[in-house]
Amino acid sequence: MSVQTDTGRNTASVWYASDLRRYLRGLGGLVTFLAIWWIGAVMTQPSYLVPTPIESAWAFLELFTSSTEIVVPIVDMGLVLPTGVAHLTETLFHYVPGLFVGAVCGIGLGLTMGWSGRLDDWLRPLIRVLRPIPPLAWIVFAIVWFGIHHTGAAFIVFVGAFWINFYGAYGGVEGVSSDLTDAASTLGVDRDLSMLKLVALPSAAPQILTGFRTSIGRCWMIVVGAELFGAPGVGYEIINASNNLAMDTSVAYMVLISLAFLCMDVGFRRFERRILAWR
Amino acid sequence: MALSDSPSGSSDSTAKIAVRNVSSAYESGGETVQALLDISFSVDDGEFCCVVGPSGCGKTTLLRTIAGLETPDSGSVLVDGEPVTGPGLDRGMVFQEYALFPWRTVRGNIRFGLDRPACGCSDCENRVRELIDLVGLDGFADSYPKALSGGMKQRVGIARALAVDPEILLMDEPFGSVDARTRDRLHTELLDIWATTDQSVVFVTHDIDEAVTLADKIVIMGTEPRTVQSTLTVDLPRPRDRTATGFVDYVAHIRDKLGSPTE
Repeated sequence: MSVQTDTGRNTASVWYASDLRRYLRGLGGLVTFLAIWWIGAVMTQPSYLVPTPIESAWAFLELFTSSTEIVVPIVDMGLVLPTGVAHLTETLFHYVPGLFVGAVCGIGLGLTMGWSGRLDDWLRPLIRVLRPIPPLAWIVFAIVWFGIHHTGAAFIVFVGAFWINFYGAYGGVEGVSSDLTDAASTLGVDRDLSMLKLVALPSAAPQILTGFRTSIGRCWMIVVGAELFGAPGVGYEIINASNNLAMDTSVAYMVLISLAFLCMDVGFRRFERRILAWR
Repeated sequence: MALSDSPSGSSDSTAKIAVRNVSSAYESGGETVQALLDISFSVDDGEFCCVVGPSGCGKTTLLRTIAGLETPDSGSVLVDGEPVTGPGLDRGMVFQEYALFPWRTVRGNIRFGLDRPACGCSDCENRVRELIDLVGLDGFADSYPKALSGGMKQRVGIARALAVDPEILLMDEPFGSVDARTRDRLHTELLDIWATTDQSVVFVTHDIDEAVTLADKIVIMGTEPRTVQSTLTVDLPRPRDRTATGFVDYVAHIRDKLGSPTE
């Protein structure tokens, strides 16, 4: 008995030590990067070209000490928030709808196309042609159709989210084992829709969720791209600040985007792990 | 001792399952492969029938045809005199590689067939509990398949097929991937379960010992051509002792049949 507890404690402490070492190395990498950044910034003239880490940190703090009024779309209501939060919210006004509508449509089409051979035959060539077009290329249509505001930016995000989620679902359904559909048939599943819901969807869930998680990141890139063209939000603030040569503020917004993405990614990974506990 | 090959047994009209002149072919690499050639045999109500033959003799195709998962090119399968046109709840199937739904727990897998509208069980929860008990998986109701051993997975497979109370149980080399000791135990348990129900079983295997241990009737299939070589009634009391002379005689007889193609 005592031997067992001893080994248990031993492996736990070994694990702890290697973990700590890993964290320390990570911290070391971060500190080295900051040091190089700092030296480079101090040595660069004119000084506004590269802001120092400290200047950037101050600019970041300022995002939360000043406040800005933004307009909530649809209800057309003014809303005063700390500046950073305000512009992040503006981004989310088109990021979130674009991502979700794109994901739902992409997953929907991916599931049906992966399931129905006939629809697959019909659409496969079309998709081959449309798929390689980078989402940002659609910005010209976003501008002439919707204007470069929330709707236009949401449209670009939609395009990006659509394809990633489409391929996640399509690949997932194609990989459904015929053994499982056979088993379901012998257990009374006789309609395509039931088979899709009871077998194909849960079986494809890992790929669908991976697709969605990938689209969270890709859509952040796309949304910032769309905002560089003028849609309101953090991406617009990056270019706006740099136009005023306030590069430290640009860096602050870049860090803000990184943090927003990290939060969503970590949150979604948790959700994924819980849903896919069976794996 | 009835070591002579029995005739086709009961007539088709009284049989639970009647396989009539079933032939089936498939395309593989541009060539037509004859999977089944003019297969005929029947299984009586409550009979335990083993189909034995070497790998690649079309046993699985035959079983899938009875299940309604495949349509024969010619011939037909009758269940209670009615032709099979597709899968149905009257025929439960147990798969070689278990085919459990990995996202469902043991309970969820067994429950799968009970949740279909076609099934009218009044107390499904209780039925699932009984089945878990029947196949000896107490304490594993909430485990996912990934946490189970091969033998346990197949117990779930059997319970899932039994849940909807099918009249026929179709088993495709169900114990092919479990170790020998577990297989012996599963044989005993399967025969116990079969004895308490009035199901007809079609059990496909390439293991002659397994067939003689389990079957009332053995259908021997060959590869050249892929058809029924002979049908044999096993007249030994259960439980069967694999070392007894009677048992050994049956095994030798079948091995002889399989070793010598008819043509």
